[in-house]
Amino acid sequence: MTELLVGKSMKRKEDQRLLTGRGRYVDDIRRPGESHAYFVRSPHAHAEIRSVKKDAALASPGVLGVFTGKDIQRDNWGSIPCGWVVTDRYGKPHKAVPHYALTPDKARYVGDHVAVVVAETYAQARDAAELIEIDYHELPPVIDLATAMSGAQIHDLAPQNLCYDWELGEQAEIDAVFARAHHVASLDLVNNRLAPSPMEPRAALAEYDPAQESYTLWSTSQNPHMLRWMLSENVSGIPETKLRVISPDVGGGFGMKIYCYPEETTCLWLSKQVGRPVRWTGDRSESFLADAHGRDHRTRVELALDDKGIFLGLKVDTVANMGAYLSNYATSIPTYFYATLLAGCYKTPVIHCDVKAVFTNTSPVDAYRGAGRPEAAYLIERIIDVAAMEMGVDPIELRRRNFIKPADFPYQTPVHLIYDIGDYDASLDEALRMIDYAGFPARKAESKSRGKLRGIGVACYIEACGVAPSQLIGKMGAGAGLWESAQVRFNVTGTAFVLTGTHGHGQGHETTFGQIVADMFGIPIEHVELVHGDTSQVPMGMGTYGSRSLAVGGSAIVRAAEKVIAKGHKIAAHMLEAAENDVEYARGWYSVPGTNRKVKLTDVAKKAYIPVDYPVGLEPGLDETAFYDPANFTYPAGAHIAEVEIDPETGTLKIVDWVAVDDFGKVINPMIVEGQIHGGLAQGIGQAILENVVYDSETGQLLSGSFMDYAMPRADDFPNFKVGYTETPCTHNPLGAKGAGEAGAIASPPALINAISNALGIRHIDMPATPQRIWRAARAAGAADAQKE
Amino acid sequence: MRRITMTVNGREITCEVEERLLLVQFLRETLKLTGTHVGCDTSQCGVCVVHVDGQSIKSCSMLAVQADGRSVTTIEGLMKDGEMHPMQAAFHDQHGLQCGFCTPGMVMSAIDLLQKNPDPTEQEIREWLEGNLCRCTGYHNIVKAVRQAATAISRQGEART
Amino acid sequence: MEMTGEQRIKAPQGIVWWALNDRDVLQASIPGCKTLAKTSETGFEATVTAKIGPVSATFTGAVVLSDIDAPHSYRISGQGKGGIAGFASGSADIHLVPDGDETVLTYTVHAQVGGKLAQIGSRLIDSAARSPAAQVFVNFSECLSALGPKDARKTGVVVPTIWV
Repeated sequence: MTELLVGKSMKRKEDQRLLTGRGRYVDDIRRPGESHAYFVRSPHAHAEIRSVKKDAALASPGVLGVFTGKDIQRDNWGSIPCGWVVTDRYGKPHKAVPHYALTPDKARYVGDHVAVVVAETYAQARDAAELIEIDYHELPPVIDLATAMSGAQIHDLAPQNLCYDWELGEQAEIDAVFARAHHVASLDLVNNRLAPSPMEPRAALAEYDPAQESYTLWSTSQNPHMLRWMLSENVSGIPETKLRVISPDVGGGFGMKIYCYPEETTCLWLSKQVGRPVRWTGDRSESFLADAHGRDHRTRVELALDDKGIFLGLKVDTVANMGAYLSNYATSIPTYFYATLLAGCYKTPVIHCDVKAVFTNTSPVDAYRGAGRPEAAYLIERIIDVAAMEMGVDPIELRRRNFIKPADFPYQTPVHLIYDIGDYDASLDEALRMIDYAGFPARKAESKSRGKLRGIGVACYIEACGVAPSQLIGKMGAGAGLWESAQVRFNVTGTAFVLTGTHGHGQGHETTFGQIVADMFGIPIEHVELVHGDTSQVPMGMGTYGSRSLAVGGSAIVRAAEKVIAKGHKIAAHMLEAAENDVEYARGWYSVPGTNRKVKLTDVAKKAYIPVDYPVGLEPGLDETAFYDPANFTYPAGAHIAEVEIDPETGTLKIVDWVAVDDFGKVINPMIVEGQIHGGLAQGIGQAILENVVYDSETGQLLSGSFMDYAMPRADDFPNFKVGYTETPCTHNPLGAKGAGEAGAIASPPALINAISNALGIRHIDMPATPQRIWRAARAAGAADAQKE
Repeated sequence: MRRITMTVNGREITCEVEERLLLVQFLRETLKLTGTHVGCDTSQCGVCVVHVDGQSIKSCSMLAVQADGRSVTTIEGLMKDGEMHPMQAAFHDQHGLQCGFCTPGMVMSAIDLLQKNPDPTEQEIREWLEGNLCRCTGYHNIVKAVRQAATAISRQGEART
Repeated sequence: MEMTGEQRIKAPQGIVWWALNDRDVLQASIPGCKTLAKTSETGFEATVTAKIGPVSATFTGAVVLSDIDAPHSYRISGQGKGGIAGFASGSADIHLVPDGDETVLTYTVHAQVGGKLAQIGSRLIDSAARSPAAQVFVNFSECLSALGPKDARKTGVVVPTIWV
């Protein structure tokens, strides 16, 4: 019997093609007769579109057509939907403002889609776009979150630019708790706006087949089935059966590629209009303008504590930026993926959260790696450090005093969620050990002797992953169930096809899912073929996001494989001439215990497909489908510790050490999981010290619109990361797995800002803590110290 | 239009090209060598790095006509006798890639580093790779991969001498 | 973005004021100005080629003179569309104060760019706009300093006698 693969750091199956230039991304696919689309984008943040003159562009060489929003509307194509209805504090649904692929009336952000040119070549389309004359009537732009509600109204449907005013918890209850608090720590903070920036820009290629009256759309989507669903039901009315969406190799997503975007929608429409395949590949400038951005909150947080440092209550008041339109899941991010996480790892008995979601003349904002949960973890872990500083308690001790302990599980938080399992002390202990916390004072003294400021910061995070139990999220307003499907076909030749509705774009699904199925069937991993990203092959799917692929998609695969094995059981019993109950199955073999009678799954499969001597009444074949709906979210948690050294003369920051200890439950492939941690850390550290999307506050022009101005983390911004694990297996899925994709991005911003604040001896510094900000803070802190002395 | 001749991955190619055509477009669109990617429009990201006469270069910052008479190697030209280049093998071994989009440029750039500095320190690797952005890996395993390749290539060299 | 400056011009105020209203002098003063056609007493149609960082674009648009207080001050403003590159708009408030035979010209310039120009060139805008803006007045000053009333007649420029 072969060695078990689950738990092993198997090298990835997908590497061979990606390393040799044989990956197939959307822009690598060519269709005969394809044409090229170029989008004319608004240079104004807020402007009425009074007229669009197309004549000169239409006469330009190679041009096949020039279209505006009015043209698409004439075809009765509808608005791109927001699929999650958030009910506000007055019981009213959020303001579902329309979002058309090409805006017919008004440009609402710089980069908004005003017209499209289709031509034989990209250069011709672009040249023709220069000739389109658009008469804009400029309107005052609404950019700053603080004043958005008093700015010019962006959508007719949304007075005061308010999408919703939402509340979680009871005001009276939280007021009572704060009234009897021994200490209240409070903090105003910004969760900075980020450009997700996967290395592959978005792209789309659409083709219409008049013979079949059907469409094929190649898209850089993390979520092809959901894209098909929305395009079919909400936007175009094309029957789902006549629309095939294919997501081939995709060059990173991070949440930003979940959504249905105007460009792919337009290409789909154009493919029938011009009767040719239509391609669009965004350039990086377009990515910055029109990809969904992440985060962008302004928050006031207050923590009430008793005299022993026990948390009594947490009060959070947030203004969240929706951008100019609602991206597909935008409404849920600052509510059900944010406020519901505000308990963190702690037994805070009363929590109250106010969220005002507002529209601004900026790119739409939606989920980005972590999505709501990093914002929650950041404010919790920051306010705890502030409280510790103000009360003179060790921040680690303060956390331990308030941790939910292993005996408390399952634990009902005051904010909807029920945590199934965890051991937060264990992760923290391991992290402290790995970073040699006891040795920190000596290292700090050594740094001081060189004129440097050393700091250490811890963050204990929790996240809700394995998105998501359908009934629970349905009650919260989700418009779809977030189960996952799988189809497992055991072939006559002893190999297995596995079809999953999740989509891998860097996570190594072909390998991880292969390991699971290979073990279950007792076959080599090379004999397992994973099919994903094609709606005409995979029965149905909900895509990849929210660290769900393994916990939900993997569980669906397990269930489907179990069905295959169960059916094989009947065939094996027939072959072994034994009662079904007497037959046992283990890793590819059916046997009758206590005898030497056994039969291989591969031989059972032969029987299943050549059912000559076969159980009466049993269907032939070994091909099973399963839909798996998780019973609960999963709750990965852990402790990250950052150690930094600051040069107060220059504000330069050096991350000298980083320890990440995570509890992801059962780990199938430690190498891949570690890679996920590294990547998450890089994005979280990027948020903490480098990245910031900046719009000019008066004009709404995007000032950080290229890699020259948006500080993407580079190789020399990071140390080596030390990664450790603790393990409490998830209690409610067959794999015991919790999900690992987002943890690094959630834990790292607070850990790093805590370390920087610790080094400088200050309460807070806003992200991104750039050298300039650190230098100013160091100067101010130095001046304050000098005054004290 | 101009007629140019160059050697790409060991094969001589003669083509008529528009003067404004970038080398990366020539490789991708004309020669269908789609292993070389495009990730930005300001020459920052490095996913388009190829070798021209053995030197790494961002192929978005060079015109096809400038490569006239020269020798170009892309990611597709690295395998020898069906075997991956030690750098490709090291990226596989060390899990130095996730989505794979930056990978071709990263590999081509790293190979050039080892030509210039056969035994780079970790810090030297990180600094060299400043012009290659990766959004997935946090660079940790890429650095490990380059170290592995450095060791492997120097052993190969020793074995040959 | 806003910037202010001062330029001492070796010519009396009357000449300077005349020049501020002269198509040829203005065109010669504006860097990259390809055409400047008078469309009314106070309006011009201009084509200007500008390069900001990696973006270069040809702008076409209207230039308007307003708040005219001859021969002391006016506002010159323009708005140009640069196609895909975006747009640029700006205005300059110009004041003249005589100082003997010479004139001190002070200016306050407001400039704004949008679209790709702002996206790619934003961090270069300040310096990119500062130098051509200042250059306008340097050119203008040089143009005039080299041009006494006599020379002006020689080049075919008719200087209104009332100001001489």
